[in-house]
Amino acid sequence: MFTDKIELNDFDKMDPEYKALLSRVLTIQADCEIGGPHLYVERMLPAAPTKLDQLIVARTAAEEIDHFRKVARVAGDLGTDVTFVLSQPNEKRFVDAFRGLITTWEDNAVFGFLIDRIGRYQLEEFYDCSYLPLQRILPEIVTEELGHIEYGYNKTLELLSKGDEEKERVQNAVDNWYVRALDMFGRSGSARAERYRYWGLKRRTNEQARSDYIKEVNPILTNMGLKIPDPLKGRRYL
Amino acid sequence: MAQAAPNTEKLDEHLLEIVRALHGAVKQGVAHLGEPKIVDGAIVDCEEILDVIMAGDVEAWLSEAVA
Repeated sequence: MFTDKIELNDFDKMDPEYKALLSRVLTIQADCEIGGPHLYVERMLPAAPTKLDQLIVARTAAEEIDHFRKVARVAGDLGTDVTFVLSQPNEKRFVDAFRGLITTWEDNAVFGFLIDRIGRYQLEEFYDCSYLPLQRILPEIVTEELGHIEYGYNKTLELLSKGDEEKERVQNAVDNWYVRALDMFGRSGSARAERYRYWGLKRRTNEQARSDYIKEVNPILTNMGLKIPDPLKGRRYL
Repeated sequence: MAQAAPNTEKLDEHLLEIVRALHGAVKQGVAHLGEPKIVDGAIVDCEEILDVIMAGDVEAWLSEAVA
């Protein structure tokens, strides 16, 4: 296991596998950061239920764009140009959950508390990671992601208080995002994930992170009076 | 020392400016929620800024920044 901590100055001396993995994970992270606004800005900014919600959608997008900026800077400094993700169509996003468009307020609310939570998990993988410039940008990004999760959770609760018809719509959104959330952790037993761990770029295996997420999210869904979807139905990566 | 990707610093500065402008518009709107004209104007500002970002035309952004 690689246990050193490295700076930008050390990057050139690193093993080609380390360089390739770090470059890859930064590109995917940048794509996920900008992928969020591309999912919800077009339809949700004009359609949010109140003016305040419209402004919060804009603020959330601003924070995600800033996360992109920070990740793009870390990547760019080591020679990895991630700017192509700014203009690529949603269908080409690295992660399935970002391919498409959010068209309902229910989907937007549930996306916040289920998918932004994955964002937090992905970022937690880099805590104490071997590449210090990446470690340094984490605290502010994670704090803002926590705000997005909380907003999504509160908006979901607000919707649930509106009666059975609304509850059914929220449950449909949960059924949609829950499965996609579980897929976002990648394949169990992934050889690449092991190499990330070997190089100190991630902490948990895909299956560990997924299992931690399930343990955290399932009680929240139950407490909200929602059904936990079948964790295997419609999954692409087991 | 690794060779930085082209325009890394310029893009960083440009995006930071955009993010600040967006936060400024949001703050303006939130501070005037009871005043429809101001809040609507702030939302339009947010939409216009976000339209540019969503288009993702990095080349145009950076040439504007230089000009």
